[in-house]
Amino acid sequence: MKPLRRLIPYSKSFRFRIHLMFTGVVALLTAIFASFYVLSDAQSYRSSLEREGKLLAANLAQNARLPLFAEHQETLFSLAAETARYPSVWEVSIVASDGRVMGEAGKRGSTGEGLVELKVPVTSPGPVLSPESLLLGNSAADGERVIGRVTLQLDTSGARRRLARMVEASLAIGTLFWIVVSLLSYQVLKRVTSSFNLLMGGIDEIGSGKLSARVDLDGDDELGRAANAINAMAASLELRELENVALQEELLNAMKLEVQDEKKRVMARLIHTNKMTSLGLLLSSMAHEINNPNASIRFSGHMIAKIWHDAIPILDGYQREEGEFYLGGIAYGTARAALTENAAKVVENSERIAKVVQGLRDYGVGDLSGLRRELKLNGAVSSALSILACQTRHDVLLKTSLADDLPAVHGSQHQIEQVLMNLILNAMQALPGGKGEVSVTTRHEPEAGQVVAEVKDSGVGIAPDTMSRLFEPFYSTKLERGGSGLGLYISQYIVKEHGGSLLLSSRPGFGTLAQVVLPVAQ
Amino acid sequence: MRILRALLLSLLLVPFPAVAYDVLVLQSLHEKGYDEAVRGLKRSCQASMRTLVLSDYLEADVVRIVREEGPRLVVAVGDRALAVAQRLRDRPVLYMMALNAKPARELSTGVGMLHEPHRYLSVFDGLGVKRVGVVYDPARSGGYVKRAQQLARRLGIDLVVREVHSAKETPAMLESLRGKVDAVWMLPDLTAVSPASTEAYFLFAQGERVPVVTFAEVYLSLGGAVALGIDRFDIGRQLGEMAQSVLSGTSVEELPTQAPRRALFKANDGVLRRLKLSLSGAAP
Repeated sequence: MKPLRRLIPYSKSFRFRIHLMFTGVVALLTAIFASFYVLSDAQSYRSSLEREGKLLAANLAQNARLPLFAEHQETLFSLAAETARYPSVWEVSIVASDGRVMGEAGKRGSTGEGLVELKVPVTSPGPVLSPESLLLGNSAADGERVIGRVTLQLDTSGARRRLARMVEASLAIGTLFWIVVSLLSYQVLKRVTSSFNLLMGGIDEIGSGKLSARVDLDGDDELGRAANAINAMAASLELRELENVALQEELLNAMKLEVQDEKKRVMARLIHTNKMTSLGLLLSSMAHEINNPNASIRFSGHMIAKIWHDAIPILDGYQREEGEFYLGGIAYGTARAALTENAAKVVENSERIAKVVQGLRDYGVGDLSGLRRELKLNGAVSSALSILACQTRHDVLLKTSLADDLPAVHGSQHQIEQVLMNLILNAMQALPGGKGEVSVTTRHEPEAGQVVAEVKDSGVGIAPDTMSRLFEPFYSTKLERGGSGLGLYISQYIVKEHGGSLLLSSRPGFGTLAQVVLPVAQ
Repeated sequence: MRILRALLLSLLLVPFPAVAYDVLVLQSLHEKGYDEAVRGLKRSCQASMRTLVLSDYLEADVVRIVREEGPRLVVAVGDRALAVAQRLRDRPVLYMMALNAKPARELSTGVGMLHEPHRYLSVFDGLGVKRVGVVYDPARSGGYVKRAQQLARRLGIDLVVREVHSAKETPAMLESLRGKVDAVWMLPDLTAVSPASTEAYFLFAQGERVPVVTFAEVYLSLGGAVALGIDRFDIGRQLGEMAQSVLSGTSVEELPTQAPRRALFKANDGVLRRLKLSLSGAAP
């Protein structure tokens, strides 16, 4: 197993395989040629032996012609013995035509193997005629007259011995030839395949990643051209590698930048979340802080209204008795109605504050239960306008255009009112010098299944850079004038919660249009 | 038309004389050599002839034919024809191309197939050889060899003879001549020379480096040095002249058996050159 294992690496070598194939073919051819030679020689020897035997037999038949005719046995025995002296002749016999053995000889005392028998007739000369025929002028006849037979037994054991010797010699010479040819072919192959090794070495080096390596092979033969092609390919690969490295670096940088942007966006979202959390906490805190005094104000309003209600008959009686009198510098008749109205407004606004606070708390805690109710948009517009009536300056021309039969929408009346109030207040604050026109319109877009409330002003408009940040929390252009930066942010949130959208469009110097689009209740 | 018919009828009714000829040629068989000889015969003999080839008949009754047809002379061509002609008692018989001819009656003569011994001996003399080996069957060639020995003796040539009675003895007899002869004379003896033993002559001659003088040109291709062949056409002519003479009234007894008068001399120059022999003046 060990030698086999040692051979495995060589078996993958081109040189080894070629050498193996070549030596194999040479061995095969040598064996074929040697076998052919041995067989041919054996056949030739056998043929030669038989030829020799036939020749000997023919010669003996020729020589024995006269003694056989003369029946001179002594001569025939002598001739037979003379022929039998040949190494290949085993036995000789000369037999007359009537079957009598006239002479014989052989190698007695030894056993013949592989005997081949040859029989040659002994004939009288063909062209010879009788004297009578000749005198009559007859031409010579072709036929020969058989007067006996010579039998030769050839011993072919010599052929076998020769065959064995030939096999041994052929094996020895063939093996020697094979070894010499194998050694010579190895040297030649070594020389021839050295270029292959150089080529393979270069390819391996390039294949291992060293693209700067080159195959150091000159020449214009196939290998030289292959080396040039591989070198060109390696150079090309090297160039591509450099380009790849540069591209990778660019990609890495781009990825880094992208990660930084993402990081920024995540940070912004974190900051926003943080802000929202803070806003929730702030709102909860503010709600708590507002609710307490507001409850006291509402209670005080109720108490004032109740007290006033109880005081009115008394004061009415006093007026009837005493005549007109003044309360707080205001005539009782005016003060009676104003106080009643103001007391009611104190309670109403206190309740509104409570609802606003409740809304803020709902925003903070995410309560959307109020969205399920149906509301009339026109009602919300009217409520907002009535609330803002006291804050509306006389220089502001407030126009309303409310569509009839506007379908109801799902939502919180109070929250939509808050949105509209924010938009109307913003519109009024945008009027330069507090003078201008604010129009509030509502309409139904049946094909889109939505109702729209628009608040348009003839104010200064919004700069483009400001426009993109309008819905950010705590962003305000009126921070110095008490703006919180939460109005549009909360409004947008509320409208989105109602399944609608809040759209702002503006041109600096030409006013702003705010649209609240709400889906019609199904 | 009537006239023509009457003419034909009259021609048929007129008795023709019997077919008569002078010479009946009995040919053993259709053989090239026989045909040549017969052509030579017809060339030199102008007598009317009828040729009967015996091999065309299962058994030809030649005696009856001769009796009925009455030829004046019978010419036998070949041994078989001669054997048949020997049965005729009252007709002269001339023969040719009969190697084994042994005329047994007085009324027969002819031309033999063997050249006179002196022709061969003159060749040996021309070659300059003194000891000539001869293998023969006494029953076949005894007389011829005896004549040859007498003649050779006069020429100073020693004929070393070996008798054989069977073809198988020839190689051994030739072996017995080893070292004793300067040339071999191959006779057309059917016992001494057979297809199987022919080779022995030339092997012996090659081994002993002696020339073989033979009777047929074909042996030159096997290593023979000189061949004295026969001219079959001329034999036919020679016999034709004898026939003409017999028909003219010459008695057969007066005409002795003749040897072929013309010899076809052929030499193998290559063998002679190798044996360092020359034939200057040797041609018969």
